[in-house]
Amino acid sequence: MKQVLKLPVRLVLMIMGFVIMMNLYILFFGKKLLNLNLEPFWNSLLTDVQFLLHFKESTNLGIFQGLNLVDGYRYSMSILILCLLVVIIAGLLLAFCVMMAPRKIRNSIKKLINIFEGIPDLLVIFLFMFFVITLYQKTGLKFLQLYGVFGNRPYFVPTVTISFLPTLLFVQFLIKILEEEENQIYVLFGKAKGVGRIKLLFGYLVPNTLPLVILQLRTSIWIILSNIYLIEFMFNIPGFTKAFEFLLFRGGNIAALALCLLLFTLPLLLFEALGYFVSKRIAGKEKFTI
Amino acid sequence: MIGYKKTIIGSAILLFLLVASILYPAYGPADFNKNVMITDEQGKVIGKAPFPPSLEHPFGTDRNGQDMHLLFLYGAKFTLITAFGVALLRVLFGGMLGLFMSIWAPSLKNVFKDFFMTMRYIPSIFLGLALMWPVIGAVEGVPISSVVSFQIIMLVFIGIPTVTIFSSDVTEQLLSQSFVQSSYLMGASKFHILRKQLMPYIRSYGILLLVQQLLSTLQLIMHLGIFGVFLGGQTAGGIVGYDEPPKPASLSNEWAGLIGQNLFDFNRAPWTIFVPILGFFIVIFIVNSIKKELEENMQGELQWVKSRKKKETAPKDGRMTVKGEFELINKEQSRGYL
Repeated sequence: MKQVLKLPVRLVLMIMGFVIMMNLYILFFGKKLLNLNLEPFWNSLLTDVQFLLHFKESTNLGIFQGLNLVDGYRYSMSILILCLLVVIIAGLLLAFCVMMAPRKIRNSIKKLINIFEGIPDLLVIFLFMFFVITLYQKTGLKFLQLYGVFGNRPYFVPTVTISFLPTLLFVQFLIKILEEEENQIYVLFGKAKGVGRIKLLFGYLVPNTLPLVILQLRTSIWIILSNIYLIEFMFNIPGFTKAFEFLLFRGGNIAALALCLLLFTLPLLLFEALGYFVSKRIAGKEKFTI
Repeated sequence: MIGYKKTIIGSAILLFLLVASILYPAYGPADFNKNVMITDEQGKVIGKAPFPPSLEHPFGTDRNGQDMHLLFLYGAKFTLITAFGVALLRVLFGGMLGLFMSIWAPSLKNVFKDFFMTMRYIPSIFLGLALMWPVIGAVEGVPISSVVSFQIIMLVFIGIPTVTIFSSDVTEQLLSQSFVQSSYLMGASKFHILRKQLMPYIRSYGILLLVQQLLSTLQLIMHLGIFGVFLGGQTAGGIVGYDEPPKPASLSNEWAGLIGQNLFDFNRAPWTIFVPILGFFIVIFIVNSIKKELEENMQGELQWVKSRKKKETAPKDGRMTVKGEFELINKEQSRGYL
């Protein structure tokens, strides 16, 4: 009950935080070394609050009309879902392969992944770009589409490029937690009772680590979202992030911006909720609060 | 296993790079061997920039004929100093705020968390752009120093909530340890606890946080470069007459700026992008291995303490029962806890 009563206060706090954050550049930008433009900052805050209070008015969200938002959103989200599927499937397969392998091979694979972990995502993107371009120059094959010219929306290259690093991180994480789980006493007990390795892995280790896996997937989504933004900007693909760019440059208002960000981070919120329910159900593996 | 081999070697390499970059004006040409065209003896043009990597230009040149390896060396100092400075400021302010919040005002923590809730869900590149993009067009006429200070304030701000919450969590965890609790019971003041009990932990956690924030700052700077938000602001670049309107170029030639200003030349001259990005990769790799080593050391230390504690609590028959001969075993080490 107390939680419910607190909810409006928390909501107001969150919105306040968002509005102040988004106006911070007005406070600090200016011609002196350290600026504090309190008056314009305050005025801008007031306008933004006005915008938020009259959220429903049509003039507010009217700027979206010329933007073909729905198609862009569908494209960006389908890229996200594709990437997530690749991360989950490839990650699980790779991790299981590594877990089944003998210890010597496992250790060397782990070392390899550790080296790859430090690669910046931009390097991966540029390497793929380089590969596609040289492939085209050498062979004339053009089946891998890169740029979003004439409203084209390529799927293959963005998915592969974006999901490469999150998959590696996911595999690394899976191996780590599965190995930790392997040291538990019940695994030893199972082994002593004669339960096979495969049965142990899929019957006990995997279900027990599920809440942690969902938490990790949240991080993966985070990385995927920022990389979608990078890719759409670099290859000039008309995705959802174009709306964001549009809002920042052509003077959008804070209500539209908030809506945009909310829509874009919706998958993240969904996963957070999912993680909350799963961890609540399995009870207390990881204490979890929003 | 407690050793600092990787840390020492890694920081030595970074320091060397930094010093080489700071001293660049003393030994390097100021125009980076700018040379747009090569002509033979008769004055016929036989080549035009960008030149690919060769003996003469080990890392190739960019479109203006400037040597990439010289630009790379020159720009290193801006990237490294900014990343390190921002990470340091983040840890300093965020860490102190977190410490203060958990020791003196625990009720403030939830308010703080709610206030910065939206930052948890917005990827930092969005935040960085939302804070810096709107004014990037308005830099004309504004002195460079204020642009830089503005950018640094924003970069520091983006990391503060994460650092604060992390340090507050760690502090709370430490405060619930039994040695702190017993110190409370014996009447220690909050300041005393901060000074005596928490200080040794603060140091090691602080260094770890610093390294983590260094990584995230580097990543953020790199991403911002792609979008044309360069450290130190933009200037009109490109070759006059080729680009209309002229493409933005980095004023300071720091690495992210090099990536951003050469972005549209990737098809013709991929080396102009790969050189600075590999620089980032090397720095991130070094910092990452430093972080790994520090983490391993910290874990080792904790385990070491734990096993030590177990030994202490184990009953040593014979000694404890003798009256009058009571003496603390391991006098030196037990002082550390109380």
